[in-house]
Amino acid sequence: MLLQAHELTISFGGLTAVDRLSLTVEKGMILGIIGPNGSGKTTFFNLVTGMYAPDSGKVIFNGKNITGLRPHRIAQLGIGRTFQIPAPFSKMTVLQNVMVGTFIHASTMKAAKGKAWEILEMVRLDEKAEQQVVNVTLEDRKRLELARALATEPILLLLDEVMSGLTPAEAKAAIELIQTFRTQGLTMIIVEHVMDIILSLCDRVAVLNYGRKIAEDTPNQIVNNQEVIRAYLGERYSARN
Amino acid sequence: MSVVGERIKANSTALIWQWVFLGLIFLVSLIIPWIVSPLWVRIITEILMWAGLAQSWNIIGGYTGYLSFGHGAFFGMGAYVTGIAMMNLEWPFGVGLLLSGIMAALLAVVIGYPTLRLRGAYFAIATWAFGEMIRQIALILEITGGAFGMQLPAFLNLPFFYYVTLGITGLTYLTTYLLLERSRFGYKLLAIREHEEAAEMVGVDTVVIKMKAFALSAFFPGVFGGIYAYWVTYIHPDSVFGAIITDFMVVMAFLGGIGSLWGPFLGAVVVQLVNRILWLTWGEGTFYLVIIGAAICGVVLFIPNGIVGLLEARIFSPREALSQLRKMVKW
Amino acid sequence: MELFLQTVIDGLLIGGLIIVVGIGFSLCFGVMHIVDFAVGEWVMLGAYIGFLFVRYLGHDPMIYLPIIFLIFCACGWAIYPLIFRAVSGKRHNPVLMGLVFTFGLSILAKGGALSVWGYHIQSITTWLSGKSISLDVATIPALRFAGFLFGILITVLFMIFLYRTNLGITIRATAQDREMANLLGADVRKVGAFVYSLYAGVTGMSGVLIGALFSIHATMGAKYCTLAFFVVVLAGMGYVPGVIIAALILGLLQSFVGVYIGGRYNLVALFMVMYGVLLITPKGILRKGI
Repeated sequence: MLLQAHELTISFGGLTAVDRLSLTVEKGMILGIIGPNGSGKTTFFNLVTGMYAPDSGKVIFNGKNITGLRPHRIAQLGIGRTFQIPAPFSKMTVLQNVMVGTFIHASTMKAAKGKAWEILEMVRLDEKAEQQVVNVTLEDRKRLELARALATEPILLLLDEVMSGLTPAEAKAAIELIQTFRTQGLTMIIVEHVMDIILSLCDRVAVLNYGRKIAEDTPNQIVNNQEVIRAYLGERYSARN
Repeated sequence: MSVVGERIKANSTALIWQWVFLGLIFLVSLIIPWIVSPLWVRIITEILMWAGLAQSWNIIGGYTGYLSFGHGAFFGMGAYVTGIAMMNLEWPFGVGLLLSGIMAALLAVVIGYPTLRLRGAYFAIATWAFGEMIRQIALILEITGGAFGMQLPAFLNLPFFYYVTLGITGLTYLTTYLLLERSRFGYKLLAIREHEEAAEMVGVDTVVIKMKAFALSAFFPGVFGGIYAYWVTYIHPDSVFGAIITDFMVVMAFLGGIGSLWGPFLGAVVVQLVNRILWLTWGEGTFYLVIIGAAICGVVLFIPNGIVGLLEARIFSPREALSQLRKMVKW
Repeated sequence: MELFLQTVIDGLLIGGLIIVVGIGFSLCFGVMHIVDFAVGEWVMLGAYIGFLFVRYLGHDPMIYLPIIFLIFCACGWAIYPLIFRAVSGKRHNPVLMGLVFTFGLSILAKGGALSVWGYHIQSITTWLSGKSISLDVATIPALRFAGFLFGILITVLFMIFLYRTNLGITIRATAQDREMANLLGADVRKVGAFVYSLYAGVTGMSGVLIGALFSIHATMGAKYCTLAFFVVVLAGMGYVPGVIIAALILGLLQSFVGVYIGGRYNLVALFMVMYGVLLITPKGILRKGI
């Protein structure tokens, strides 16, 4: 058991964003998280990575209780994460962005640079390495997000809607990339809206609604789950069916 | 990869020429007191000091993105520490200077610990408030001489102060070059400036890094304050803790180009020379404030990246220069 | 006991006037996210303009309040496009750019005032100066009381405006969600200009009263900038109702420190409290700030 979230709860000014959420992720698996907008998916990521401290509950990673630790410490322990809206370091080059991620493990600038080049080649951004981030397309920025997260040599990678805004061709390339990560032993949690991607990539899927987990199963079972359909498509649709 | 390889080679030749150029300037600077009049030695010493001060502010303001509007407090701190060390404790100047720098850096750590938690506008206000508060405290305390100011032992040797200032300013720029332009520390600062949360997410300990940057940015003003105190012999809270110190630092760094290595130097040169010219033509004491204020506003409106920003746009011909300028100015 | 009561009253009275400085400033930040470093200079300029009116036209400075309000509104309206430009566009870090810009404005204004009027200290008197209302337990200086009433009046007017008029609602909407307000038809730029000129007008007006109560000099801006910051930090940036409580606390603090510890420690005490609040509850005492 690589990651265990246990009864995580957090409220913001009266609104409970995440409500006694428990999830486990085994090493090497890809867990998908789906749910309507506002169901707490990104908040969950924020809790795991330390951006928020939960009101109650705990997060155990690799046997260690990481609840309440600062984000940089959690990153050093091996959890990487991409943001839904890419958050690159704007006034630096693509290469420099990735290098910042390598600083956790690389001991010299030279090693950092080498590692960063490797990663950029892997995500196929090496051609744009010396470009300023402001000049780079959205798809490239998403790849940069990925590259930078990979640079920290994570054991667990949290991907927040990596596919949004990508064309079908770009999405296909992204899926292939994620599958190569998997073969390299990277454990992942993916938040997505597009069911096809979830079906093709994930071993298990958890469904959130109003901060609570309403279902967790294999992808095929989830698609046929009544509660899930009701949450996504509304009461009247499921009543009709 | 070959394209990149060529660029690296080209950069190397450019780099060598830059070092040669710097070396020449440095050699010339060593003999300045012998080749120009005392008036100009004074002017150049002042320019050097301000260049160092502006660069110090640049460390926390430009590279890290935390605008410290009370930075003059460190200058004043250094001035008084040297004053007290030399007058009350009768320690030599060198010891006083070192102590000034260290005390200023310590002050930065103490203030920085709570204040660096604040973002953007709050940080600016808090540091501004802190700067004013320190001045008030200096006016009240006895050890600083309160409203009467403090006298230091007289030492009238202009070349001495020229060389000390040259050395410290050189040290400031060298440190900035080594620690900020070329190292992981610098990259981390830029990352914090651009997106602090993302930086934290990729393992940068933002709290510690910010504190280090703030302490570093306070050390040199502390030393400069000590030099200034010994040089002018008499210090007073309004002169060394005055808001004008911070004002100058900010405008010089902004005008030259915040976040760049040589921007503050250019800014210091321009502002000081303009100041001198205004002194000569108008002769009066306060109009330069209007110019400074207008300059800050102008820079923010038209050239937010400063002179260095303009230069980096690489002006090849007059026509291109004009079109670049128009783009920059954004009419 | 009498001293205590007198101190309380003095504090509250001053606090009332300071509300005016804080309200405009807070609204400015709340709506446009602009920290106007030049707030103290608006006060200073208001005081000087009032002084000029009295010197060249005679009569009581109070009469000129409406005109001064209009003059400063016009100034604010004129300057706002520049501020807008400073904080918008593809600039790096708009909030900080606005901050630096207004910082520059304050230096400009201070330098201009020093150049024109020098270091002389001026003052103006009104028919209320020197008069006071005597109660058994304390004396209430008439002018301070007028200042207090002025503060209350402005607050009430502001509240009515913000909560009862269409324009006020638009302003509050813009403060809460700029883009949405824009999409719903509010001309965000005009709203900003309106708020800024209102703020300039009100702050300039308060300068006249402050000039009558205290002395007028070109460097007085820093003090009122401090007070404005203090009030807004305690109230919570952008939270206008909190300004009332914060201003009154400020007045009491100043009053008590002045009487029981010594006038020299006034500003130090102020900074320490402000610092403490910034560290412990950066969103203001009531935690309602932005």
